[in-house]
Amino acid sequence: MEIVVQILFMLISALIIIAALMVVSVKNIIHAALWLFTSFFAVGALYLLLEAEFVAVIQVLVYVGAVSILVLFAIMLTRHVTGEGQNQLYSRWWLGLILALTLFGAIIVPTVFKQKWNIPAPTVVTEPQNAEPVVAGVADIGKAFMREYLLPFEVASLVLLVALIGAIVVVFEERTERRVILTLAESWALRQKESAKVDQ
Amino acid sequence: MEALINYLLNTALNLHAPEWVILLIRHLLVATILFLVVPFQMLLLTYFERRVIARMQDRVGPNRVGWEGVLQPIADAVKMFTKEDIVPAAADKGVHLLATGVVVVPTMFMLSVLPWGPGMTPVDFETSLLFFFAISSVSAIGLVMGGWSGNNKFSLLGAMRAVAQMISYEMPAILSILALVLMTGSMSISKIVEAQGGLIANLTDLPKVPDLGLGWLLFTPVGFLAFVCFFISALAEGERTPFDIPEADSEIVAGYMTEYSGMKFGMFYLAQYVLNFALCAITATLFFGGWQGPGVSQLSAMGANNQLFSILAGALGVVYLLLKTYFFFFTMVWIRGAFPRLRIDQLMGLGWKFLLPLTLVNIFSAAIWAACIHWGPEQGLAFLSAFGPWKRWAIAFLSTLVINLLAATLLVRINSSAESSMPKLVEDQKFGAVTLP
Amino acid sequence: MIEAVPLEWILTVAAALFCIGLFGALSRRNAVGILMGIELMLNAINLNLVAFWRYLSPLSSTGPVFSLLIITIAAAEAAVGLAMVIAVYRAWQTVNLDTVDALKG
Repeated sequence: MEIVVQILFMLISALIIIAALMVVSVKNIIHAALWLFTSFFAVGALYLLLEAEFVAVIQVLVYVGAVSILVLFAIMLTRHVTGEGQNQLYSRWWLGLILALTLFGAIIVPTVFKQKWNIPAPTVVTEPQNAEPVVAGVADIGKAFMREYLLPFEVASLVLLVALIGAIVVVFEERTERRVILTLAESWALRQKESAKVDQ
Repeated sequence: MEALINYLLNTALNLHAPEWVILLIRHLLVATILFLVVPFQMLLLTYFERRVIARMQDRVGPNRVGWEGVLQPIADAVKMFTKEDIVPAAADKGVHLLATGVVVVPTMFMLSVLPWGPGMTPVDFETSLLFFFAISSVSAIGLVMGGWSGNNKFSLLGAMRAVAQMISYEMPAILSILALVLMTGSMSISKIVEAQGGLIANLTDLPKVPDLGLGWLLFTPVGFLAFVCFFISALAEGERTPFDIPEADSEIVAGYMTEYSGMKFGMFYLAQYVLNFALCAITATLFFGGWQGPGVSQLSAMGANNQLFSILAGALGVVYLLLKTYFFFFTMVWIRGAFPRLRIDQLMGLGWKFLLPLTLVNIFSAAIWAACIHWGPEQGLAFLSAFGPWKRWAIAFLSTLVINLLAATLLVRINSSAESSMPKLVEDQKFGAVTLP
Repeated sequence: MIEAVPLEWILTVAAALFCIGLFGALSRRNAVGILMGIELMLNAINLNLVAFWRYLSPLSSTGPVFSLLIITIAAAEAAVGLAMVIAVYRAWQTVNLDTVDALKG
């Protein structure tokens, strides 16, 4: 069983890393977006492996279902920028590469190689049906949102509202006139109205 | 089922298979059954739809292949398989191919959390209801991929329309479902189904009701309003006729499917019918009791002594579920035969100005329902425990009925008055196009 | 899962994801590409939070709550950021951020 979980973990993390590398290196921006969703989806799978199923479902719902669509819409609304042929990276992209690699080393060396993690003996779920739950489930998260984290919850909803209104304000285009195409029934009704007025 | 596989492998064949192998075999078996059943359902549904719509439009419909044309879908499938597969020269070939998979696979995933009978849920977990809708939104990406990769304006337009429609109707759908989650206190589909035993009132609300499997959530005011909102949103998400703008063949050829031919087109077609089937099934499951019906719970109670009875209960549950699902599919076809297509602004207006506020009010009354029925002194509502369960149920029913009726009439009035107070239209000379001052 | 995979592995994956996202955010010219890099970084942070929650205190619900809040903020950020991208495109007819330099002086 352990080896299966390890292989599964390796596959998922390889998918995450490869997809993320493709996101930053692919020339076509739409392909980069598609790789981004692959990465999101694989992260969701890793959440499932970590038994955080609610977070996994929300990851799929928000990132894959909403953010990705938003990204694709933004790419398609800014036309002619799929970027085939032109250089997608700054001329000094190696500076960013050095910075990222240094940061990776600076994170990994002290935490993984030098630090001994004194993790308490893990609590393992054996039989979910009859044993006591050892992982906080959906009900616990709901209670936490309604009790300890009520203020962050409200603030988050406020942030969402502000973002909604802000996004509309930023992209709103004032038009002097709007074109409305009428259905046959509507234009017929309009004509009836007009002729009634002419008769009076 | 695990016990059976365990017996076969470890006792009969003496293989000493560990637990996870048994679990894996069990899931593979269930997945195989689902993958076999679902395309068959699709064949059946296409034939059903074509015959029914022909009847409504005073035609005959397919009646040549086999008895009354029942083999027509198989002939169509053979035609699809043998057609030439054309990929446009300017297309993005990889994305073009992948899009079909991204559209089909999520719809199959949707069926994996549906309870088919008592204890017959392929995958059952705490958040399966949310999973159902989360995974259904993944196929929107497939639509954009298909629309974009074909390098065709019509297919891109169709994909944009489809995604805008899916996203804006996902919200009323999920909000109307949230009311049910509040009422039943669970996000697991199988728990919601189990809560619907009883007669008119369900067993969790009134424990003394005779259990005929008819305590459907539809029979409460909250559930009824949620059903109406959800079914309209389901029509929009499944791109059924009043909302079939994304593939309006008289305007933009076939929407995002324009550049597909042969079996790839068949995959899109399959995805659409499986999605419709899943939406009908989830409507039947959440509001009409799913596998609940007269006799199922009695049979499965008898199954404790005799295995045969629990198998019978399962079969009866599947029959009930499929009957309800076909009824809803028939309703979808009926609506297709009865109504013309909406315009895009009418579609958005209906979703955002009417369904969304209505579902929000519905969540409010669902909270009142839950408070009236389940809350007591711990939540600071000690006066409620003075009433008996019948009285509490009646109070909940009446108060939510009044709130929902008021909200519905108010919203209908606001929306119809907004329609009539539109600024005066000035007609252009050409094509009936009009400019608003 | 928890007895088969040590915590360090997940931390390594999250760190790698974060650094890839950082590289993307620093060196992409396309504004949408920069936003994608930021989304990758937020995902890495979420992964860390969930891993620590599962390994150290699975009974408290702090970890999922925090990651849900981060997902919320990320969604809001994506909405506002992409709106800004569209606004920039309207003004400059490009989304390559090295050409958008009106404040250069």
